[in-house]
Amino acid sequence: LVCVCLCPGAGQDVGRSCILVSIAGKNVMLDCGMHMGYNDDRRFPDFSYITQNGRLTDFLDCVIISHFHLDHCGALPYFSEMVGYDGPIYMTHPTKAICPILLEDYRKITVDKKGEINFFTSQMIKDCMKKVVAVHLHQTVQVDEELEIKAYYAGHVLGAAMFQIKVGCESVVYTGDYNMTPDRHLGAAWIDKCRPDLLISESTYATTIRDSKRCRERDFLKKVHETVERGGKVLIPVFALGRAQELCILLETFWERMNLKAPIYFSTGLTEKANHYYKLFITWTNQKIRKTFVQRNMFEFKHIKAFDRAFADNPGPMVVFATPGMLHAGQSLQIFKKWAGNEKNMVIMPGYCVQGTVGHKILSGQRKLEMEGRQILEVKMQVEYMSFSAHADAKGIMQLIRQAEPRNVLLVHGEAKKMEFLKQKIEQEFHVNCYMPANGETTTIFTNPSIPVDISLGLLKRETAIGLLPDVKKPQLMHGTLIMKDNSFRLVSPEQALKELGLAEHQLRFTCRLHIQDPRKEHETVLRVYNHLKGVLKDYSVQHLPDGSITVESILIQATAHSEDQGTKVLLVSWTYQDEELGSYLTSLLKKGLPPSTS
Amino acid sequence: MTRECSVLLPRVCAALADPRQPGSDDTCLEKLLDWFRLLAKFDPSVELLQNNPCLAEFITAVLALPEPSPSILSFTLRLAGILAALENRFQHLQQEQLLVRLFGRDGPLNSMLWKDASVRSGWVHGVHSMMHHQPALHLLCHTGGLDVIFSLQGDPSLFVASAANQLLVDMLILSVETEMTKPASTKDCDWPACAQMIIKHIEDSLQSSSASHIEQSLKLLTSLFGSCRAPWTEVLWLGVAKQIESFLMEETVQAQHMLANLLLKMAWSPVFCDSEGSFWTLVASALEHLTPVQAGPLAVGLLKLYKCPQDVRIQALTVLLQPMDCILRAASQPLEYAGLLDESVGDPITVEGLLSSKSSCASLLCQTLAHLEELLSQSRFQVDLPCASLLHSLMTILQLCNGLLSPASALGSTIGRVLINCFRVQSSALDVLAALSDRKGCDTLIESLFDVLLAYLDSPNTSPTVLKKAFQATSKWLVRLQELSCSNTQRQQAEKILEDVFLVLQKRLCSPCWEVRDSSLEFLTDLIKCLRDQEEFRQSLLSSEVPRLTENLLEDPESYVRASAVTAMGHLAFITYFAPESPVLGNQYNKENTVAKLQEILSTDPEGFPRRAVISIFTEWLSQGCTGPLEDTGQFVSRVIQTVEHDLDWEVRLGGLELIQDFCHQTFCQLGLPECPDDPVSSAVTGSIHGSESLRIFCRAKLFRFLFRSLCDCDKTLGQRACHILLNLSNNFYPLGTPKDLDKTVDLPAGCSIAWLERTLRQGSLAQNFPTDGVDFEDPESMMLALGTIDLLQLYDELNKSSDHVEKSPQSLLQDILATVGTMEENEADCY
Repeated sequence: LVCVCLCPGAGQDVGRSCILVSIAGKNVMLDCGMHMGYNDDRRFPDFSYITQNGRLTDFLDCVIISHFHLDHCGALPYFSEMVGYDGPIYMTHPTKAICPILLEDYRKITVDKKGEINFFTSQMIKDCMKKVVAVHLHQTVQVDEELEIKAYYAGHVLGAAMFQIKVGCESVVYTGDYNMTPDRHLGAAWIDKCRPDLLISESTYATTIRDSKRCRERDFLKKVHETVERGGKVLIPVFALGRAQELCILLETFWERMNLKAPIYFSTGLTEKANHYYKLFITWTNQKIRKTFVQRNMFEFKHIKAFDRAFADNPGPMVVFATPGMLHAGQSLQIFKKWAGNEKNMVIMPGYCVQGTVGHKILSGQRKLEMEGRQILEVKMQVEYMSFSAHADAKGIMQLIRQAEPRNVLLVHGEAKKMEFLKQKIEQEFHVNCYMPANGETTTIFTNPSIPVDISLGLLKRETAIGLLPDVKKPQLMHGTLIMKDNSFRLVSPEQALKELGLAEHQLRFTCRLHIQDPRKEHETVLRVYNHLKGVLKDYSVQHLPDGSITVESILIQATAHSEDQGTKVLLVSWTYQDEELGSYLTSLLKKGLPPSTS
Repeated sequence: MTRECSVLLPRVCAALADPRQPGSDDTCLEKLLDWFRLLAKFDPSVELLQNNPCLAEFITAVLALPEPSPSILSFTLRLAGILAALENRFQHLQQEQLLVRLFGRDGPLNSMLWKDASVRSGWVHGVHSMMHHQPALHLLCHTGGLDVIFSLQGDPSLFVASAANQLLVDMLILSVETEMTKPASTKDCDWPACAQMIIKHIEDSLQSSSASHIEQSLKLLTSLFGSCRAPWTEVLWLGVAKQIESFLMEETVQAQHMLANLLLKMAWSPVFCDSEGSFWTLVASALEHLTPVQAGPLAVGLLKLYKCPQDVRIQALTVLLQPMDCILRAASQPLEYAGLLDESVGDPITVEGLLSSKSSCASLLCQTLAHLEELLSQSRFQVDLPCASLLHSLMTILQLCNGLLSPASALGSTIGRVLINCFRVQSSALDVLAALSDRKGCDTLIESLFDVLLAYLDSPNTSPTVLKKAFQATSKWLVRLQELSCSNTQRQQAEKILEDVFLVLQKRLCSPCWEVRDSSLEFLTDLIKCLRDQEEFRQSLLSSEVPRLTENLLEDPESYVRASAVTAMGHLAFITYFAPESPVLGNQYNKENTVAKLQEILSTDPEGFPRRAVISIFTEWLSQGCTGPLEDTGQFVSRVIQTVEHDLDWEVRLGGLELIQDFCHQTFCQLGLPECPDDPVSSAVTGSIHGSESLRIFCRAKLFRFLFRSLCDCDKTLGQRACHILLNLSNNFYPLGTPKDLDKTVDLPAGCSIAWLERTLRQGSLAQNFPTDGVDFEDPESMMLALGTIDLLQLYDELNKSSDHVEKSPQSLLQDILATVGTMEENEADCY
């Protein structure tokens, strides 16, 4: 079992996933993410490492996408439509539905920048999505005759899944991003005790035991409330889908409870569609949402309305969700520029911002920003960062390992130093090997596959007839012929094997020559030998055949005169492999000589 | 380097070398290196180091750290390499032995940090960057660096191993090309010391018993022969040729695919491909000894090579055609079909064995088919293929795959069992089939080919992806069919096929799977584009249920499908009411109905794709002159623009601008203005008359408000496009030589609305909301004044800058690094 992470950059790096797993001769790519921090080739994994020569489609058996975040699926259209992978792609139904929205969203941002080349088009996104096979949770999907995959609930975002990949008796579980504690709209990750050979787990928060999400949510609501109360405006830059919906539910409930009047707007044209998907895939959300669904759909917001550009200049407090999430272009940036100068206002960044974006600048504390045309924008509004990301922390990772009981663990998506701590903890507590390879580093794991063998009914009956009933705890030794054919193993009786394979049986006979001093005629010597044996071997059938030879069971004895010395008779004794014991006894008996003749 | 940057740089260096600061974001360091790479390239002097002593100080400081972070150390190694790429900068850094301390024996390579892959990677890349001159070469060779690189060839990290391999290739080339005193010859070759060490390493590895060492050397030779075409490579080759030949014959080493790759790279090098004899004998023997799967890539590569000797070409072609031949023979009655190859050529036993095994059959066929497609799609140098037999073989494969054929022969039925429902083979075969439609000589089989294709289009077992490929192949062959149907019988045959195709299409348009509905609509659009001039095609299509079903799909729940339905409807219009000899159809195809429907989608569809499709269909109609006389077109454009002006989707708005662009162009053409290249007779006089006429038309169509408004759009692409259109208009109304008011600084009265507009535009996206009143965008005089007054050219330059040009600047990067230090730790872990 070989595993290698193909993200560019040699260190362990947070974000973007692309892992190649070779399991029992099958090659599977897990996720196909992009790095949002680059504008050139470095944003995509370097796929040339997958196969130095030869076609990707021939090499890879399938691609699996764990969830819709761009660091897990952003390179997919590039991979399937530009690099030329033409094989099957698997993801869950919600991921398949939501993926194109985010890819479109990102494409828009990208084409907005000049000098962007080598980027996929809308048509490519569609063509790529048409190749995707959507899977249900816990449905075993047969990729081909040997390879099967199965999805498990991962929490994290709508439609996120962990995948079990199985070939024969070898298996790998890939977690993608997951969350072991339920949040406002999603449940906790769950997997059965599948005892995989390898569990590949993300370890974004490898050492952190995070404070409860409730705390962070309370903090968020408090800050929004305070700003609105003093008449300020709150800007929350978001990506179209994911975090945005979570925060909407949060604000909606809070507004309802507190009976607040300040308007909340959602500025993107995509809201409708995003909320539509949350409604459509209600079974993927958590129990609370599902229960209340009958009375009230959590995603039909009473207080949150569509935003028009003109509203930004309205006096009085308001809360606006606007895209894109990193404040690097578009509407969120435009609103930010308008509101930045007023200290009563606030911007809340609910996610990570890459270097080079306005979001990154204000988060790192810069307050004087150079804008286009050498204009300086002074940021007087309050800037807050609030992380709502739903990843498993150290406790959660340990909990998942306890659930799945893997034989080996491999940690990805984390910083080396922090992962080292978790690695030791895992090795101590579970007594399994834990790996944390750098990007590009190959990890080889040796498995002891137990190979199933079919046994023929006849043989099984014969063997059990000896008396022992099958018992798991007491392995039994069985004799038979092992036939390997068409990648399967069968144990059958030797006779059946011969028949099936159309082979004739070969007899192996041992032969031995003994010299006996006896001057008599040959047939008389034979008679003496016969009488002697008849006397000694009372329980055996000893026969004197008309052609002058003697048989004892399968043993054959013939006598001839020595060519040079007529007084010596040569006894030719031969026996089969089965009568080996009797054969050697007989020869040693005859070697001692014949008793003196009685006649 | 700008002054601001040179002020910031020392502080950045100090921050990076400060061990108390938590590490900077990886992307920042990468981008910093990008910047240094540019600086080093454009300033090839030692001044970069002299003017910025902080750089050398930074390296010294990092070297002095007892335990630097791996990412900073890796960054330092790479930075030093970039700086030392120039000999005098190399010497400058060496004054303090910085490079020896970084890359030599006592540097990081003997520390605990070497275990970290990023440090090893930094070391290799650093060495690679400076490997442009002899001193660098000597530094490495004399400090035992070569042995380190040799061992890095087998590094557990793919990235490091591959970089080490490439480094050795470049060092070898550098050594030979800068240090060799006389040309290399086989008899007496005096390799320079460094080259000698590398060559000896290659030879030793090839003779070793370690498979990984052999593989590394084969990889190295492959990159060498792939990148260097100097005569000395042949001398090197002759030293190892025997050994490599033995790998081929003895098969003790499992490196066959690498051998194939190596030979292919050599075949492309003039050093080897022009040589007589031995090299090509080796290639021929490789084609013979390698298994069909290993030999495939070599064969296809050779066939694309112009200089390949004829006998080798035939052999290569045999490798590719053998599986196809084998299929054909296995599936047909004895003596029924001659096959693709002479029986005397090649030995089919191996291929037969591979095809009858479950594990190898599909992969061999997929690979072969992919190679054949590659050859067929190659336009530059066409390979002569037996197309008819190939087509027959493809049809056989496709029939085996869907169980339509059950051959009598034992081999045939085994292959049939293996191939049934094999999607991979189906898609590959359909790809080749599509590519084959351009080749002549397959026409006799066309009827039975359509039987196969229709079976695929019809079968419920066909997967959506395979179906899409079947559609693509069908559309290509339908075009071919139309080209062929000149005689009456052929025409009847073609009509029958078309009827059948539309019957299947009807069924597919109702599929529960959106992917299928979408591919069906795309297929329909494709067909109309290619065949809309063919009478039989139009008749068959319009007498089928397809148009009605397409119209129904305008209300599909899936937005992708609605968009494709819009496009298909738009193209259907070309053969219904826009066609010059429009067939009599009754009210079924009512132009106004369709336009109204599409208009409704444009204004009400909740998703972007269908709206985008509508606007691009409208533009297509306009550009093909289907929107009627100028007056009607003006009204049409005006209606559309008012709908898209407020669209939330930027691409719909962009589509609106494209429509305007086309409309302006057409208006000028019809009125005979200079913008139109088709109209040579336009004088300045008529120009100015028509100019005011066209301006009136544009104003009446309410284009200007949308155009000016788009200049301030938060999506910059729109601003660019709008500005481009306005510039064109301005150039038309103020032809070259006519003075624009711009030249003399006009003092527009402060209250004048145009002055206000100009000010607003100058503020760019910081502007207040765009005015809905104040400026009369429908008044030709105001607009003429606006076009003359506003400096559109400057605005265009401004808009043409990337939206992130400020953030992307090195100064911004340096500021970010400084600001980030110490603050970003938590944020970094949280991904999107």
